[in-house]
Amino acid sequence: MKFRYAYLVTILILLPSMLLTGKGEEDNYSVYCAVLFSAPDEASMLGYAHPARSVGLFRREIDGSWHNVHHPNLFSYGLGYSHHNDTFRLYIAGGNGLHRSSDDGKSWKVLTGWTTEDILSVAPHPYDSTIVYVSTPFGVFKTSDDGQTWREKMEGMERWFVQKVVIDIDSAETVYAAAEDDLYKTNNGGITWEALGVGVPQILEIVQHPQNNDILLAGTEDHGVYFSHDGGETFMPGNGFPETAAYAIGFSGDGTRVYAGGYETGLWKSTDNGETWKLIWDDDSFDAIYAITVNPYDQKHIIVGTNGAGLYESTDGGVTWQHAGLYGAHVQQIKFVPGS
Amino acid sequence: MNCKATINWQTIAILTGIGFFILSLCLQAQQDFRERAALTLQAASEDDERNLYVLTAKLVQGVDREATLEELLSFTDDHVMGGMFYAYQMIGTYLHTKDFLPDELRSEIHRAYRDRTMYRGDTENHWVMYYTGLYLAAQTWPGLDGSEWFNGKSSTENLIEAEGWLREWMHITITIGQGEFDSPTYLMTFLSPMLLLYEFAADPAMEKSARMILDYLFADYAVKNLRGNYGGGHSRDYPQDIINPLTAPSVPWAWLYFGEPDFIPWDNPMGEPRHSGWNIVFAALSSYRLPEIIYNIGTDRSTPYVLTETKRTRNIIRFAGQRNLPVYKYTYMTEDYVLGSLHGGILQPIQQHTWDVTYVSNKPNNTLFTLHPYYSGKELAMFFPEQKKFLADEVDRYHKVYTDPDKWNASSPYEQTMQYKNTIIVLYNIEPGANHPHIDGFFPKTLDDRIELDNRWIAARHGDVYIAFYPLKEYEWIEEEVNYRWRSYDLQNGVIVEVGRKLDYGSFDDFIKHFSAASVEVHITEETLRVIYKNRNDDILDFTYGGDRLVNDELVDFSDYGLFDSPYLQSERGSGIITIRYGNKKRILDFNKSTITEIE
Repeated sequence: MKFRYAYLVTILILLPSMLLTGKGEEDNYSVYCAVLFSAPDEASMLGYAHPARSVGLFRREIDGSWHNVHHPNLFSYGLGYSHHNDTFRLYIAGGNGLHRSSDDGKSWKVLTGWTTEDILSVAPHPYDSTIVYVSTPFGVFKTSDDGQTWREKMEGMERWFVQKVVIDIDSAETVYAAAEDDLYKTNNGGITWEALGVGVPQILEIVQHPQNNDILLAGTEDHGVYFSHDGGETFMPGNGFPETAAYAIGFSGDGTRVYAGGYETGLWKSTDNGETWKLIWDDDSFDAIYAITVNPYDQKHIIVGTNGAGLYESTDGGVTWQHAGLYGAHVQQIKFVPGS
Repeated sequence: MNCKATINWQTIAILTGIGFFILSLCLQAQQDFRERAALTLQAASEDDERNLYVLTAKLVQGVDREATLEELLSFTDDHVMGGMFYAYQMIGTYLHTKDFLPDELRSEIHRAYRDRTMYRGDTENHWVMYYTGLYLAAQTWPGLDGSEWFNGKSSTENLIEAEGWLREWMHITITIGQGEFDSPTYLMTFLSPMLLLYEFAADPAMEKSARMILDYLFADYAVKNLRGNYGGGHSRDYPQDIINPLTAPSVPWAWLYFGEPDFIPWDNPMGEPRHSGWNIVFAALSSYRLPEIIYNIGTDRSTPYVLTETKRTRNIIRFAGQRNLPVYKYTYMTEDYVLGSLHGGILQPIQQHTWDVTYVSNKPNNTLFTLHPYYSGKELAMFFPEQKKFLADEVDRYHKVYTDPDKWNASSPYEQTMQYKNTIIVLYNIEPGANHPHIDGFFPKTLDDRIELDNRWIAARHGDVYIAFYPLKEYEWIEEEVNYRWRSYDLQNGVIVEVGRKLDYGSFDDFIKHFSAASVEVHITEETLRVIYKNRNDDILDFTYGGDRLVNDELVDFSDYGLFDSPYLQSERGSGIITIRYGNKKRILDFNKSTITEIE
């Protein structure tokens, strides 16, 4: 509830400036995406001297083009942001560690050291900028002092590979970790974890309904999407989604629709919080969908990231699709970032 | 009389000429390190290859100075690529040549460490290069805040982080072994940075640590060096180097430090190496000298010996309960050949070389081995964080042969070995449905003989080295450019290989006669694959796939393996103490106390 309150306060603060500039909420965001790598041929075709030029964190400009806002040659697995008080922070989860910028991407600092190796995902605390969780191939790490020190947070976990870490929408002490053997949950800020018992191993993705924290959806390596409508007490397989890797799941801002994609699946949609799924789009230009996001201010605006074919978007709820740039890119994560 | 006298003088002249020729060969082989280092620098400085090693040599030798400075400047331009190779090479070049560099160029090199992303990479060798480069750069430009560095950390933060990792790596290496161990390709990526660290670390403690780890790395290498061939199983190597050992990137290092092989590595008669070998330039400039005891271990092959070792797997991130599983190695070294093996299974991704016999030869492709050319996304996902369904394709982009059924490097979960001195049994128990369900053997065309006997044994010979090869199942031959590919398709499969020398076995005819009568017991059931074999020395090897290994009824227990156990190298796992022996001499590296003790 505290997070919702903070969000409401932020909106109230921003509202006068929006009215003064004549802009609505929907204009007051940027779209960022994290690119892990790019196919050399496509990158070269676009004039990049080396495919490494086309990896890293990208921001979409007003003209629709994408601008690499951090050093190229940085393999990026994920991104995150925190936006509260007067502090806006961008994070890149990358091969060299967790990168943070406090000046809208102008300068960056690697917060982690050699003990944390690759950072696969980042979850900044929603209203305490000193607290950040990251997932790594060797577990979950947490800082409570703004990145000065990092503590491994693994008690209760059987295996150490954690693909993704996500903070609960209502309680920042509750965190989910998509791990090799199961989905884990902590209610005490990572001190201890309990396995939720999804029923299948290799959890790759975890998302929560934007308004109802009892609704959880998990993407798995070989068994599609699983859902829970009771806060993780029980999980069931989503009906219709193929039994293969589900890499990406994305809710619409109002929570009425959820989209999922994975390995050779195309894009699927559910209107009952993941119980049943229907294929809405597929395309031969890519093997997999790796990232999905829905514009929080426009439920019909969907962007998906692919493995090796860049980005596609739809502005009519998934009926028609256009290429949205970054040809050749393997896009790991896309986010609409408010207020940046 | 005159005629006779003339003949005598002619004979004397010819003999004298031959004598001088032999003497010159001996002298060439015995050129000391300084001479070979000087030759290296001269040759590198005359080369037109565009890399930082060559530029360093040119600057040190005073060759084309203006053009070289301009070229070096171009290495600092606004290019995105930093990377771990760049991170250590550029600071190495800077530190070796700074007296020749104008201030502006010094500043540009400094700037490169601010503007380029020095990517840390994802392997042990990457991190050694990255953190060595970072350590020396942070030491070179102290007192700067984060805005002056590519990673936003201050000089002090970078120095502390780099030292932290380097010390951790050294600790792991001397207690449980290297992960990227015994790699003819990647050896230089450990030696070269450590030589820089030894040369330029301002902290005497770090300099001492670098000196000690260099002794360790060179001793580890020396004990498997056979006239420039890097013997035994390898964690990682490329196919070309596996099938032609004397073109491997380790060869210039063997030549520089051991004087072997006896040819100049940049004029290699065995074939065109993948790399020019100029990565020995930093070594040629180094004040590190190989201790004589390690030189002797690397070159004295008068007495055969067994070496058992423990190494470790690369960091395993998924699908295993342990971060670094132990790797058990066995090597049998003689004057003429080396037979070596890893115990089997997936120990490294992509480039594992599990076993071979490599023999001394003046012809290329002087090796013989088998493998199962396995590949899978799951294997890769054990070691890399990307998704397993894509990894095989991704790896193919960089290591072109990963999914190739004809590849010559592979780790397979269906391969296990048992070695005892000159005999090895390699068993394959391939799961139905596995990728590429066949096993391949490399038989070079440069063998003098390759004879199939009536009882399935194959007898091969190169010079005075004899190899007896027994396939458990039917097979076929496929002729290729430099070799005959031995291929067998049975899923439960294997080979027995016994290696001998004229010295031990007499004539090759005798060898053939023996193996024409040799018998092998093979028990195959649905559950087990068991081979019992008595070799010519009457040693009985009894090996069950996934089960016991017995030699003369005694169980081989890998938990008995030390970090090193051989006449030349000894170390208990975890002890941090390495004892190097040769004759009556000992050199003891005690990493706990950071001391080197020499005992006569």
